[in-house]
Amino acid sequence: MTLIYFKNIGRFVFLVLLQVLILNNLQLSGYVNPYFYIYFLLLLPFETPRWLLLLAGFILGISIDAFTNTFGLNAAACVLLAFIRPFVIEAISTGTEFMIGHSPSLRNQGVKWFTYYAIILVLVHHFTLFFLEIFRFTEFFQTLLRVILSSIFTLLLIFIAEYLSYARESK
Amino acid sequence: MHYLLYFLRKHYFYFLFLALEILSLVLLFNFNAYQNSAVSDVSSGFSGSVMNISSNISQYFSLARVNRILAEDNSRLLSHRPEAFYKADTETYYHKDTLYKLEYKYISAKVISNSTNKRNNFLMLNKGWSKGIQNHMGVIIGNRIVGQVVSVSEHFSWVMSLLNKDSRISGKFKKNDQLVNVEWSGGNYRKGDVREIPKHVLIRKGDLIITSGNSDIFPEGLEIGRITSYTIAQDENFNSATIEFSTDFNSLSYVEVVVDLMRQEKEMLKNSFKSNTPN
Repeated sequence: MTLIYFKNIGRFVFLVLLQVLILNNLQLSGYVNPYFYIYFLLLLPFETPRWLLLLAGFILGISIDAFTNTFGLNAAACVLLAFIRPFVIEAISTGTEFMIGHSPSLRNQGVKWFTYYAIILVLVHHFTLFFLEIFRFTEFFQTLLRVILSSIFTLLLIFIAEYLSYARESK
Repeated sequence: MHYLLYFLRKHYFYFLFLALEILSLVLLFNFNAYQNSAVSDVSSGFSGSVMNISSNISQYFSLARVNRILAEDNSRLLSHRPEAFYKADTETYYHKDTLYKLEYKYISAKVISNSTNKRNNFLMLNKGWSKGIQNHMGVIIGNRIVGQVVSVSEHFSWVMSLLNKDSRISGKFKKNDQLVNVEWSGGNYRKGDVREIPKHVLIRKGDLIITSGNSDIFPEGLEIGRITSYTIAQDENFNSATIEFSTDFNSLSYVEVVVDLMRQEKEMLKNSFKSNTPN
């Protein structure tokens, strides 16, 4: 059980550093900003208490904000993501896939389940983040394009990471 | 009371969510880059030092380009030295020396974080108020503009890049001094928008837009960019155009902060007018 804590804390630190040192500096065009760090929230174990989910979301968001000097921006989006996560799991579950001590993953829950799960959460997070950042509706479609393109890129990174861990575990 | 507690316990998840979400939004709207925030002071200590390490490493990769820019600047400055002038008329030479008072001085600073891929882009510089940087000072590179200081801590300052939805630069045509506004509407970081060009101004491709000096932030005559395309509006009073910025925002490593030595005097003048007019 302690192993799970260490694993998640390690993942937290790694993803925050990856985000602020590499992904935030990625220059793909003004429209693509992947926010891969939310992978941490996606991977928290199923039985994580709900209050811990929210708190983890807040701390993760604030950590990213501390580096980009946008206090509350990522935190607001992450708290929303953490809030809807249990509802999303409930809504798309088929009842058989949960195992105590396990995290949601491509391997255990299947491609279809995980795809729904990731797409919904990533879209909600990116939508909140980009619209809070711009905070006006005059550039609505431009911002929407940013949301969609960035989400696609984030999802791509998530699936690559899933396949890498899948390959490692099945060895 | 008992029911209240029961109610709270039963729905704690929703209340915790609301509390954290409201806290985030309060942070977002209060500690934004426009205020000198206490929070950024505390955090810039840690995140600033991480960024410092990261930029210390990455600056090695841009040494060649920095050298080239320095060489260019050097040659430009050399051409301004008294030795470079033909001094037939000594009067002009002394004229500049005694009658003109120094209005701007420049503080050089290193960029330790920078972005061009967001809708709102900011830079962090490695100098703060301990080195004389204050809020609202302009930031330039050579004779091209970069942005404006929006927040200062002891050792770092936070600069709103021209690539920001809130940045609006007062510029003018170099050829005929017509005033315009320059903004950035997102997307490509090389291209900006020129707004409010009066109908009667003839626009040509390649027209140079420079700073007007009206804004108290930038000295007059710094390059903003050249016009690449324009549209003639049929039923509005103003035309608009697209420019290519002279500054390459993606390759900034050393910049200069503009200190307006007469700023206080200008502000006092404005304030004294405001306090004199009754309304």
